[in-house]
Amino acid sequence: MWLSILRYRLLAILCLLCVQHPLVAEDFERTETNNFFNDPIQPLASQALVLDIVSMQETAIAVGERGHIFSFKEQWQQVHSPTQALLTKVFLLTPSLGWAVGHDATILHTQNAGQSWQSQMQSSRIEKPFLDVLFFDEQHGVAVGAYGLFYRTHNGGRSWESEYHQELLFDEDIAYLEELKNEDMTFYLSERSTLLPHFNRIIALSDARLLMVGELGLVAVSHDLGQHWHKKKLTYEGSFFNAIEAGNAVYVMGLRGHLFKSSDLSTWQAIDLPIEATINGVMALKDHGIRIVGNAGVIIDVDLDDKSRLVQQRQGESVVAIAELSNGERWIAGNKGLARLTENQ
Amino acid sequence: MLEKWVNGLESFLFRQRAFVIGVFIIITVCLGYQASLLKMDAAFVKNIPLNHPYMQTYLKHQKQFGGANSIMVAVEDTSGSIFNPAFFDTLKNVHDQLFFIPGVDRAQVKSLFSPSTRFTEVVEDGFAGGPVIPADFTVTPEGLAVVRSNIEKAGIVGRLIAQDYSAAMVKAQLLDFDPQTGEPLDTLAFAAQLEQQLRKQYETDGIKIHIIGFAKMAGDVADGAKGVVLFFLLAIFITAIMVYLFSRSLLLTLLPLVCSLVAVSWQLGLLTLVGFGLDPMSILIPFLVFAIGVSHSVQMINGVKRHVLAGHSTKAAAAFAFRSLLIPGGIALLSDTVGFLTLLTIDIGIIRELAISASLGVAVIILTNLILLPLLISYTHIRVKVQPSAVAMIPVWRRLSRFATPKYAVVILSVTGVLYLWGAQQASQMKIGDLNAGASALHQGARYNQDTFFITDHFSITTDVMTIIVEAFPEACTYHDTLSQVDEFEWLLSNTVGVESTVSLASVAKRVNTGFNEGNPKWHILPRTTASLVQAVGRVPTTSGLLNRDCSVMPVYVFLTDHKADTIERVLAKVKQLTLEMNTDKLRFTLASGPVGVMAATNEAVAAAQLPMMLYVYGAVFILCLISFRSLKATLAVIIPLYVVSTLAQALMTYLGIGLAVSTLPVIALGVGIGVDYGIYILSTMAVRLREGMSVQDAYYEALVERGSAVVFTGLTLAVGVSTWFFSALKFQMDMGILLTFMFLVNMLGAIIILPALAAVFWRQPK
Repeated sequence: MWLSILRYRLLAILCLLCVQHPLVAEDFERTETNNFFNDPIQPLASQALVLDIVSMQETAIAVGERGHIFSFKEQWQQVHSPTQALLTKVFLLTPSLGWAVGHDATILHTQNAGQSWQSQMQSSRIEKPFLDVLFFDEQHGVAVGAYGLFYRTHNGGRSWESEYHQELLFDEDIAYLEELKNEDMTFYLSERSTLLPHFNRIIALSDARLLMVGELGLVAVSHDLGQHWHKKKLTYEGSFFNAIEAGNAVYVMGLRGHLFKSSDLSTWQAIDLPIEATINGVMALKDHGIRIVGNAGVIIDVDLDDKSRLVQQRQGESVVAIAELSNGERWIAGNKGLARLTENQ
Repeated sequence: MLEKWVNGLESFLFRQRAFVIGVFIIITVCLGYQASLLKMDAAFVKNIPLNHPYMQTYLKHQKQFGGANSIMVAVEDTSGSIFNPAFFDTLKNVHDQLFFIPGVDRAQVKSLFSPSTRFTEVVEDGFAGGPVIPADFTVTPEGLAVVRSNIEKAGIVGRLIAQDYSAAMVKAQLLDFDPQTGEPLDTLAFAAQLEQQLRKQYETDGIKIHIIGFAKMAGDVADGAKGVVLFFLLAIFITAIMVYLFSRSLLLTLLPLVCSLVAVSWQLGLLTLVGFGLDPMSILIPFLVFAIGVSHSVQMINGVKRHVLAGHSTKAAAAFAFRSLLIPGGIALLSDTVGFLTLLTIDIGIIRELAISASLGVAVIILTNLILLPLLISYTHIRVKVQPSAVAMIPVWRRLSRFATPKYAVVILSVTGVLYLWGAQQASQMKIGDLNAGASALHQGARYNQDTFFITDHFSITTDVMTIIVEAFPEACTYHDTLSQVDEFEWLLSNTVGVESTVSLASVAKRVNTGFNEGNPKWHILPRTTASLVQAVGRVPTTSGLLNRDCSVMPVYVFLTDHKADTIERVLAKVKQLTLEMNTDKLRFTLASGPVGVMAATNEAVAAAQLPMMLYVYGAVFILCLISFRSLKATLAVIIPLYVVSTLAQALMTYLGIGLAVSTLPVIALGVGIGVDYGIYILSTMAVRLREGMSVQDAYYEALVERGSAVVFTGLTLAVGVSTWFFSALKFQMDMGILLTFMFLVNMLGAIIILPALAAVFWRQPK
């Protein structure tokens, strides 16, 4: 009996406190509304820019604008993200272990198939975006990005170290930098940090070599998990945005409909496309051809005989990525968000 | 004292009647001439609450970013594809023609053919671009193929080209003033030019021209309003028949009609004198003036007949009628006038105009129908027999007088109470603003609304744009923080239901930055360094309307799915919430410009005006009743039925889906102002009898015998006058017609049913 009286007393005192400190109540209310209105989970998030989709067994994850991350459970569902930076790429090592990278040198990590994410690195000071991330095992991986941005981890991403791949500089730039180094150290460092091309995509080949493509016709191969790189010479000097190994051949693709194929990484053969649009994304098809997607909403199939066919052109869209989920559905991502390709497409 | 004054006035007027009538004739000729000069007039600014904070924002930035007064012409190829020579010829002609219509801001005419419509594409060494229609364009299949690919690169599909390539758009902003004459732009003349020079000239079987925008709507509304002349004649005709049935005398039919028409011509003449034109909305006022005039005349005829019947000469009878009606009639008309004048408190030009023209009109009736009419009648010789109909009414009045017994009163008041509660509940759900898509002034099937629906369906933009102005500091757009705030604002707002799309400098700068990075969508960001940001923003010209010269002001354009009241309210609420959180000293998101910004301000002004307007109207009526009856009980007995009926009228609005808007807001004030007449007439007789010691029931019976048929008749006349608007081509006239008819009829019922019941309670006799 006296206990319940005490409880009422306490309540009464609490109420008094509330009355005496209206600010407390107000502040509380204010944060409430803040949370509601600035909730990063927004209804149209999956229709805003989405830049990558990755799928492995039952796990499928997509990332995009404002740090949006989506996980597929019958439908795409937005999950909470520790960043607001534009995420450019997501990588799955296993169905549960994954990394996502993006602008402001952001690296995020998940251990539960994309349900929750932790930030491993983020620095708006670096002012360069990561454009791809690749892990060799649970401990070792690299993240690459604009202006030769290259970071490596040996501990699953708990710490990241920068690497500078001077071997990917152009000869004339190397000479220029040598000259600068003797004259003006500060300017040398600043120039050095911007002279490397963008590293747009890095993939592991079936023979354990790495292939990296990027700006200014960059196609480079590494035999030692990216410690050292060898440039390959192609006839084209525009940007490459993606690469894939499919059906005993390697394809690199990029600006204005340029697609090259090679079986030995030395000789490259150009493949004609029906439309001169920039190619952003690619997936291997079961019959050993590839499907590529790009700006101007193009979706193009290329068969093993290098014949290309425009499957679809989506008006006003830039398609950036394509992936097949474990349920057999094919999804594309781009400036209009996530969209499912229907069967006859 | 008052009585002495009335008697003095009477003897003066009737002694000098020839002179007085002469004065009336001279005034009528003068004002009639003025009335003939009256012009239709529909200016944009009249429709908006200029002192509303949103409108201050609108006016402040109107010059830089264009206002809400835009015009869109969609040229449709009915074959479904625009890529044929005939279409391009027509489109070019339409563009040129619109460019040269006076009043169009030539710098802001946009279509495929305007030089500012350019495309940009990314090539290996940077950008390439040019006008979408190249300088060497020829209308050949090859030339069209080039244009087609340029259109896709330019990203104008949905804006200047229909999403399904079945139509192309020519857009223009209108100036407020004609640059040649410096006069305010004549909206109606402009609309007529659109119709003549664009639609008439270029619409064929294969090409359809869809035109939308405020000017076009105003033009269509004015055209629709012209049908009103027919309704006016119809109203006169029906009223004449009714007056004849009531008076059974050709002369007594003619004189009230003439006096009422004199009142109308005075009212119209005075409008010209005070410098107003006739607006499609205030065109309804002459109907009201006419109907009110007739109804008061009927009281006069009624009075004259009663006195003639009592054996007086027509002249004496007219004098008697004048004397007994000047005070109640004058009070009734004065309260009408005051009721209308309360509308002046609403800060929307067109409602003020309505208030002035209506109160002028009603004030004029005091002269024409309370003075001129008895004077004219006094020249006639009326022979009246006891009309069988009048005798026939006696048992009816006898039965009706039971309403003034406590037994009936309880029932009546209970039913009234229930009705009121139901009405109040419905009324609370009354919506503010437009409830339908398209222009609410016009019917859904009207050409203008069909055009609106076509453009909404085929383009991703509409005229339903709300602009939120971001006010910052000079060079603000070169800072990442500023633009990313704008970007965040835009994103959160675009997630509101009802927002179709948004555009601002922030979202465009992201696109430009993508362009600078080889068109790679992975660079769809706002660069952090000012140098890179300047590069992106620098490519956006001020003519885009996305920034001013020093980029201290950046509008966020919000395209809405429609402009229904709910949609606007929802978006406004979101914007207000966001501004509360995001506004800082340096960066302010300010409401609002654009057509929907104007509507939002209007809706808010209307909503805010509703309560004060009701208070003023009822306050005025209350005071006038108090003065004339010197009794609180009598005043309440008049006002309570009025209030119940106003509430029911609001419930009717909810039920019929009529929103409270600029056009319907005044209706309640008009309805109350006029509705009070019935009560005043009935109660003025009753009050005298009660003071003589009569029972409530007998007093009410006397009042019915004296005024009953006139009151019923008045209700019917007024209702007939406004019910012809049901057939108007204009939706808002129809709405006003329905509501006023309801107010007039039900107020009349209130005065003969609820009023006596209240009286029975208020003047309860001790048994």
